[in-house]
Amino acid sequence: MPKHDKERLLAKWLDDGLTPDERQAFEKLCIDDSEFAEQVAAANQVSMMAEQFEQVAVPQWNKSSTFTMPEKARWWQWQGLPALSFSSSAAAIVMVLSGFQVSVDDGRMSFGFARSGPSQQEIAAMVDDKLNQYQLANQEMFGKYVDAIALQQKESAAQLTQYLLSSSRQERREDFAEFVKFINQQRDDDQRFMARQLNHLKDEIDALEGGYIMPPVSGE
Amino acid sequence: MFEKHDEQLVAQALKGNKRAWMALVTRYEKSIYHYGLRMTGNPADAADLMQDIFVSVFRSLANYRGDGAFKGWLFRIAHFRCIEFYRKRKPEQSMDDVPEPECGRATPEGEVLNDSTSQSLLAAMQRLPLSQKAVVELKFFGQFTFDEIADQMGLSPNTVKSRLYSALSRLKLDLEVEHAQA
Repeated sequence: MPKHDKERLLAKWLDDGLTPDERQAFEKLCIDDSEFAEQVAAANQVSMMAEQFEQVAVPQWNKSSTFTMPEKARWWQWQGLPALSFSSSAAAIVMVLSGFQVSVDDGRMSFGFARSGPSQQEIAAMVDDKLNQYQLANQEMFGKYVDAIALQQKESAAQLTQYLLSSSRQERREDFAEFVKFINQQRDDDQRFMARQLNHLKDEIDALEGGYIMPPVSGE
Repeated sequence: MFEKHDEQLVAQALKGNKRAWMALVTRYEKSIYHYGLRMTGNPADAADLMQDIFVSVFRSLANYRGDGAFKGWLFRIAHFRCIEFYRKRKPEQSMDDVPEPECGRATPEGEVLNDSTSQSLLAAMQRLPLSQKAVVELKFFGQFTFDEIADQMGLSPNTVKSRLYSALSRLKLDLEVEHAQA
C-alpha cells in the first residue's frame, strides 16, 4: 500500500472518521504491516501521554500589557481644536469689523450687520406699539366717562326718589289733615245737631209742662 | 454557567472593554502557555511567547470575523508567532530542520515538570523539526482535526497528515531512547 494511503488511514483513525471498509483495511494493515502497526502504537502512546501530560501552573505575568489599545484622546487633545479656535478667532474679528449685531425682540432673534436706521419690521413694531398705547388711553378715558355718567344717573335717580317720597308724604299729610278737619267738622255738626235736639227736647219738655203740645219735628 | 462566549468577549474588547479582554486572556492563557512550553521546551521562552501571542492576538482582534472558532484563530496566530520566535532565534534554520541540541544549556523541561512521562514526551518533542512539532502539538494536545490544523498552518490536509506520520516515526524512536535512559 502506498505511504500516503497509510498516512490517510492513520489520520482518519485519529479523527475517528473511518468508514467500515476503511476500518477493515486499517485493521488488516495493522496485522500485515508491522511498520504501520508501530506507527499506530506510537500515535496511541503519544495520545495517552498527551492526555496525562502534567498541568503546569501559569507563572505570574503582566496580562494588562497585552491590552495595547490606545486610550481615547481627551477632548482638549482633539487635533481639530487649534483649527477650530483659529477659525473662531477669524470669525470674531470679521464680526467686529463688520459691525455684526444680534438682537432679540419678543422672543425673535435677528442677526445683521451695522445699519443707519431702524428696519421696516422695527418701524412696524413701533407703530403697533404706539397704536396700542393710544387705544389703551382711549379705553381708559371712555371708561371714566361711563363711570361718571353712571354715577350721575344714580344720583339723579336718588334725588327723584327722595322727591317722590317726600312729595307723597306731604300729600298724605294734607289728606290726613283734610280728613281730620272733616271729622272735626262732622263732629261739630253732630254736636250742633245734638244741641238742637237737646234744645228741642227741652222745648218739648217745657211745653208739656205748660200744656202746650208742640207739633212733631219732621226731617231730622 | 453564565460565562460569555468568546465572540461576545471579543466584541466587547474591540470596544475598549479591558475587563472582557482580560477574561479572554484568562480563559486561554493556560492553553497558550502549555503550547509555548512544548513548542519551545523552556518555561521562560514559553512565558515570552505567551505574551507575544496575546499582544499579537489583541492587535489582530479586529480581523477576527467570527466565522470560525476563536480557539482555532488564536492557535493560528500562536503558530505564526512561534515560527517568528524561532526565526529570530536562528534565522538560518528551516522549519523542517532538526534542531541541534544546545550545549551547556540545562534541561529546561526538568525545571518545570515533575512527571517523568511528561518530561520524556517534552524532550522527545524538542528533537522534532518545528513543522512536525507543531502538528503533534495541535493534533494531540490541541485536539484539532487535520482540516483545522491545515487551515491554521496554511497547508494542505495531506501535508499535515504526512508530517504527523513522519513525526510519529521519529517520536517512536526517541521515546524508546528516553524510556531506556529512564
